[in-house]
Amino acid sequence: MTALRVLAARVRGLWSRRRGDAELDDDIQAHLDLLTEEYVHRGLSRDDARAAARRAFGGVERMKETYRDQRGLRFVAGLMQDARYAGRMLRRDPAFTTVAVASLALGIGASTAAFSLFNAVVLRPLPVAESQQLVVLEPQRRGGRFVLFNPVFEALRRQQRTLSGVFAVSDEPFLNVTFDESAPVYVRGSLVSGNYFAVLGLSPAIGRLLTDRDDDVSGASGGACAAVISHQFWMRRFDASPDVPGRTLRVRERVCTIVGVAPAEFVGHQQGYAPDVWLPLRPLTDRKLLESPRMAFFSGVMGRLASRVDAARAEAELTTLYQQILAAGRDPHPADFRIHVAPGAQGLDAVRRQFGAPLTIVLALVGAVLLIATVNVANLLLARGAARMPELSTRAALGAGRGRLVRQLATEGSVLALLGGLLGIVLAWLGTPALASLVSLGYTTITLDVSADRRVTAVAAATIVLAALLAGVLPALRLSQATLRTGMARDGRTTIGHAQRLTRALVAIQLALSLLLVTAAGLLLRTMRHLSGIDPGFQPAHVVLLDVRDETPGSSFGKADTAEEKAERAALYRTLDDRLNAVPGVYAASVSWLGLFGGSDLWLPLIDVDRPENRPLARVDYVSARYFDTMGMQILRGRGFSDSDREGTDRVAVVNEALLRARFSGSDALGRRLALDYQGEQQRPFTIVGIVRDSKYNDLREDRTNPMMWVPLAQAPFRATSVALRTQAGAESIVARRAEEVLRSTDPHLMLRKTTTLSARVDQKTARERLLLGLSSGFGVLAVLLAGVGLYGTLAYAVSRRTRELGVRLALGAQRHAVLRMVLADALKLAAIALVVGVPLALATAASLRAFLFGVTPLDPTALVGGCVVLVVAALLAAYIPARRAAAVDPIVALRWE
Amino acid sequence: MAPLPSEVPYGTLDLMVLKTLKVMGPLHGYGLARRIEQVAEGSLALNQGTIYPALLRLEQKGWIASEWGTSETNRRARFYSITRAGRRQLAAEADSWARTVALMARLLEEDS
Repeated sequence: MTALRVLAARVRGLWSRRRGDAELDDDIQAHLDLLTEEYVHRGLSRDDARAAARRAFGGVERMKETYRDQRGLRFVAGLMQDARYAGRMLRRDPAFTTVAVASLALGIGASTAAFSLFNAVVLRPLPVAESQQLVVLEPQRRGGRFVLFNPVFEALRRQQRTLSGVFAVSDEPFLNVTFDESAPVYVRGSLVSGNYFAVLGLSPAIGRLLTDRDDDVSGASGGACAAVISHQFWMRRFDASPDVPGRTLRVRERVCTIVGVAPAEFVGHQQGYAPDVWLPLRPLTDRKLLESPRMAFFSGVMGRLASRVDAARAEAELTTLYQQILAAGRDPHPADFRIHVAPGAQGLDAVRRQFGAPLTIVLALVGAVLLIATVNVANLLLARGAARMPELSTRAALGAGRGRLVRQLATEGSVLALLGGLLGIVLAWLGTPALASLVSLGYTTITLDVSADRRVTAVAAATIVLAALLAGVLPALRLSQATLRTGMARDGRTTIGHAQRLTRALVAIQLALSLLLVTAAGLLLRTMRHLSGIDPGFQPAHVVLLDVRDETPGSSFGKADTAEEKAERAALYRTLDDRLNAVPGVYAASVSWLGLFGGSDLWLPLIDVDRPENRPLARVDYVSARYFDTMGMQILRGRGFSDSDREGTDRVAVVNEALLRARFSGSDALGRRLALDYQGEQQRPFTIVGIVRDSKYNDLREDRTNPMMWVPLAQAPFRATSVALRTQAGAESIVARRAEEVLRSTDPHLMLRKTTTLSARVDQKTARERLLLGLSSGFGVLAVLLAGVGLYGTLAYAVSRRTRELGVRLALGAQRHAVLRMVLADALKLAAIALVVGVPLALATAASLRAFLFGVTPLDPTALVGGCVVLVVAALLAAYIPARRAAAVDPIVALRWE
Repeated sequence: MAPLPSEVPYGTLDLMVLKTLKVMGPLHGYGLARRIEQVAEGSLALNQGTIYPALLRLEQKGWIASEWGTSETNRRARFYSITRAGRRQLAAEADSWARTVALMARLLEEDS
């Protein structure tokens, strides 16, 4: 108790030093006065009395020192004194301080932001109990990713013993749901096994969560359907009303009762995907689909390890079971399959899989930038420290211990690091959301929680401490060593030699690291150039895309549409197509089943009617009349579709060159007939009326075009998912709004999922490369700038120290351009050292980028040589001003200056 | 010949200050030092200045409190008084001091 009170008093004492001193002085003065009066009273003269009073009082200064030590915390007080002194030094040189703080802020800000993102995508565990026990079951076929079909999943789940629970999830980013009497809306849904919440170990915010009974389709649940909503959705849609349990929603033609709300902290089983509603998987999936051996599969399967079971044992058991189940199902090669048991603490890994690797690279790149920035500050401090050598030597000579000097210098670096760090954290806070928006998956918006948690805070703090150590302590140790060794030697050449050698080494490191960044940026830049140089075979610019679903109630899985249904749908699409084409500012519009770059990869078997043994596999799409105009695809021969191609007229098709090459080489394909082989049933044939130029289908990097066939939507009205409108530059957004209105007014069952543009969708495929290019080029420029500043500072300082020597040389007849050359050669020497160190570093970085490169190899000479050239040019530019100054030294002034 | 004034034994100054304040009521530093010297009747060599760190120590521990007032020479000075915690502490210390003194006395008698 007393100890605490003393500590509190002492901490208070730290802050009121000046007042405390004044008060003590008052006390002492009063005391001395009274003592003096006493002695005067005893008969001494006033002067003698004053002397006697001082004697009786004892050493005033020593007492004050004791008093001060006791008042505050001595160590902290010293530190604060250092910090105040450092503050004064930094204020005196605002340009230096600004450069140092800004470069540290950029370095620390960039690395904190990158780490927040990395943390959100890769590290942050699900907020569930014992998350380290969770595992993700990844089925593989010959080492490649595969899926678990439902019957196999069910058998595996029944037979396995190494997991205390297994569940499947099927994410439905656009689940069509109707609440009460309102219009249908899309919510983010997740269909999950009944034990989902139990295995995760969650308890409800209100009501109850799903259980195995809810997922039962044997009839035990009496046909009831339960739903759990997320806490956020509860707040957003229901204003956190406590009587939400019991309300109903309609989904997939079933009525489900909301039974509870998930806990607030749990947002989902996958970073970036926060479902609004969880529904039981089986009751909401078509029975036939579930029972079919190769139809229904899931977004992911997760489980929790039973106690005292590790992932390896679970993997062995599950793989054995999997192979047995497949063998029992008469699979010819069960040994090709296995189940990889991956750590699942962070949940399912769609985002992680896409962005884990690029983010790791980004982290390495910002690490390099941080290092460069910190080294820059260390260097600036060293150079300044060398200039302050006489002051430091004097202080050392007056008895300041080495520790005290190191502390003083280190405090300056630490104050800089702290200021830069705080500013950097603000920058990171501002910049992280923008950075997070670069992480995206094509099919759905992802919302990453990039807020700072303990890990981010710890890393930011560690970064600042590291920066303080590197920028403060390193130069401090170096300088104090030099100071003590040379003392107050008049000509501190060796002193400066020491500091300079370290400075030069640091500059070389900076240059080497920037080479790494510049080369990485160069490789990615060349990749993007190659990608944008690819002719996609269509014209992506100025095409608005609406991602839609036709939610008209109709036939279910496995049941063919009736003739009336088909006719109605064809008529609806015809109306829609006409209205879209009538939108002002639209050159051409189309409705199609799939469209381009939608990610679909559906192949159908075709039959060449005249030569039935010729059975090509091809991608097929069903499109409205002006599809090829809308996409900007070129008809090479024959014709495209027109409004007169409809049900009742001749069935026609357009094919691409790849299909010709594959199946009809030599002969003229126009007029040949192709039929779809749908579930072993040959359909009425289509006659080829046109041949279209090859185009990319899903990715610009496709190295060969696959055979494709297009059929008029009017003749085979599959449910449309894509609306496209070609317009002109600048009109995209207004056309998009009008098209959305057309969609709404034509039929409320045509529901909009997402509005985008064709070029955005094409770009989406290279999102990771763009992320890396944007960051590495930005950081590359920053790195070269910082390294340039570092080199400039070092050389400028060296030149100023050598003024006398240069004066002598010039006086003895050295040519000015020789002096100029000498300084430039010095810079080149540093650059050369940097290249020797940097080229292997750059090559190693390039190798880690391999997966993101297109059209260039990691050893691409252009990028590497280009990087080296940039570096050498930057070095020469940075050296030019100091070199000019060196050449301009006036021998007379230089010598007189001594 | 009068015995030479001895140094203030370590740790006893705090006790002397507390006792004096308890007996005399609020005093400034000079008054305290003067009073302690008077009681010691020359048997104690006190650098009067050393009383201030002791006062700070006691105040930090919460055993005494201070208040600004005016000294007899019309200067601003702090007047110290004992707190309730200080009185408790004094009682405990005095007790333990008395026992120590008694113990020392017995030990020294045995020796002589």
